[in-house]
Amino acid sequence: MFKYQFRWDTVWGSFDFLMGGLEMTLIISAITLVLAMIGGLIIALLDMSRFRVLRWIGVSIGEIVRNTPILVQLLWVYYVLPIVFGIRIEALVALIIGLALYQAAFISEVYRSGIQGVPKGHREAAQVLGLTPIQSFRRIVLPQAIRMTLPPLASNFVQLIKFSSLGAVISVSEITRRGMELSATNFRPLETFTFIAVVYFFICWPLAMGIRFWERRLQAR
Amino acid sequence: MSASPILLADSVTKRFGNNQVLTRVSLPVMERDVVCIVGPSGSGKTTLLRCFALLEAPSEGRIVMQGVPIATAAPDRQVKSAARAVRSDIGMVFQHFNLWPHMSVLENLIEAPMLVKKMPKDEAVAIAESLLKKVDLSDKRDAYPTRLSGGQQQRVAIARALAMSPKVLLFDEATSALDPELRREVLLVMRQLAQEGMTMLVVTHEMGFARHVGTRTVFMDRGEIVEEAPGAAFFDAPKTERAQRFLQQFEDE
Repeated sequence: MFKYQFRWDTVWGSFDFLMGGLEMTLIISAITLVLAMIGGLIIALLDMSRFRVLRWIGVSIGEIVRNTPILVQLLWVYYVLPIVFGIRIEALVALIIGLALYQAAFISEVYRSGIQGVPKGHREAAQVLGLTPIQSFRRIVLPQAIRMTLPPLASNFVQLIKFSSLGAVISVSEITRRGMELSATNFRPLETFTFIAVVYFFICWPLAMGIRFWERRLQAR
Repeated sequence: MSASPILLADSVTKRFGNNQVLTRVSLPVMERDVVCIVGPSGSGKTTLLRCFALLEAPSEGRIVMQGVPIATAAPDRQVKSAARAVRSDIGMVFQHFNLWPHMSVLENLIEAPMLVKKMPKDEAVAIAESLLKKVDLSDKRDAYPTRLSGGQQQRVAIARALAMSPKVLLFDEATSALDPELRREVLLVMRQLAQEGMTMLVVTHEMGFARHVGTRTVFMDRGEIVEEAPGAAFFDAPKTERAQRFLQQFEDE
């Protein structure tokens, strides 16, 4: 180990190749976050529905997704869906669907606690002043709920950046996959994967720190 | 009584599950009345007030405003539309203020007039500013509620209720959540409103206010109105034993 001859040039030589993968990683994470935010809203609305059947569907999706491993879900979407529906899904699409569904299940909880976190009295005050339930939701509940859900949503983005590395397993050409491919040709896994870990860290860490700061400021208000 | 009541609880019973909180309570409120509802906790005072505020529907009986039923156990379309029509004529001030924390003081005041009454913004702002002056908080116009003391928040809440120019103002233990030294400023505003002729229904533990400002005192216990007397008469000569026992707790004050 101590006699190891570092050959970082093997990494620098493929810098553009890896950065291309990073770009892919960030694009996948961003698209997935948007889809997960929409999916999460749908699940949250199902959860809070007046109709028992819809509630049951919402709760079931949430529980199943939250209580099975994300990797298994990805494999399932990639390998099982084509068998069941007889369609070919591209690895990239499968990754985005799988990740979005997974995050949606968590984001729905974020929304729900955001909405339920608005004290009942705030709605009653609106009601007594004559606001309709829709006006009260739009003007009183939603703005407060959104403020509370923004930091957790940003945290979800950080999580997505990390989870998108699972795309490597179904050969989506994001940064981790490219690292695997590179180390298979340069025989330098130490330099390659260390570099990749550092890249992830210096993207996720500042984001996480920023979110923590942001949350503290919101609490102070 | 010659005149008809502006607001009336007509034999209102309220149950939550098996728990009967109000039993056939009838209470007329006349114009310019300041009715103070007192009684031990759990006596149903707040529930009665919430029925008047249309936040709770009676299980039996009705709430009537100026002769028109606005709440019944099974409201038909007519009752519902009557309720919508008078909704903002009944204002309410809550124990915990319930100001909207994401809006400034001014925004709290102009929200309902603009949204419900479709009032133009400059008119709503002008009214809000004059109301803030009235509750002596003109300098807090752009502050956010969490920056204010409890007493200041409650005065803003009163101004917010007044911005809809209600015909009746309900107070649900408006000073109970405040430190003693902050109660006075809220009670002074309430007293001023009473002197200006505002019709008020006040659930309170402030016996001084009930005695000196209230035109009538209603004593409730276990979901019923036990005793009712004009102004100070209730305090000087309580008729029932339950009321006498209740008032004894305050003798040291």
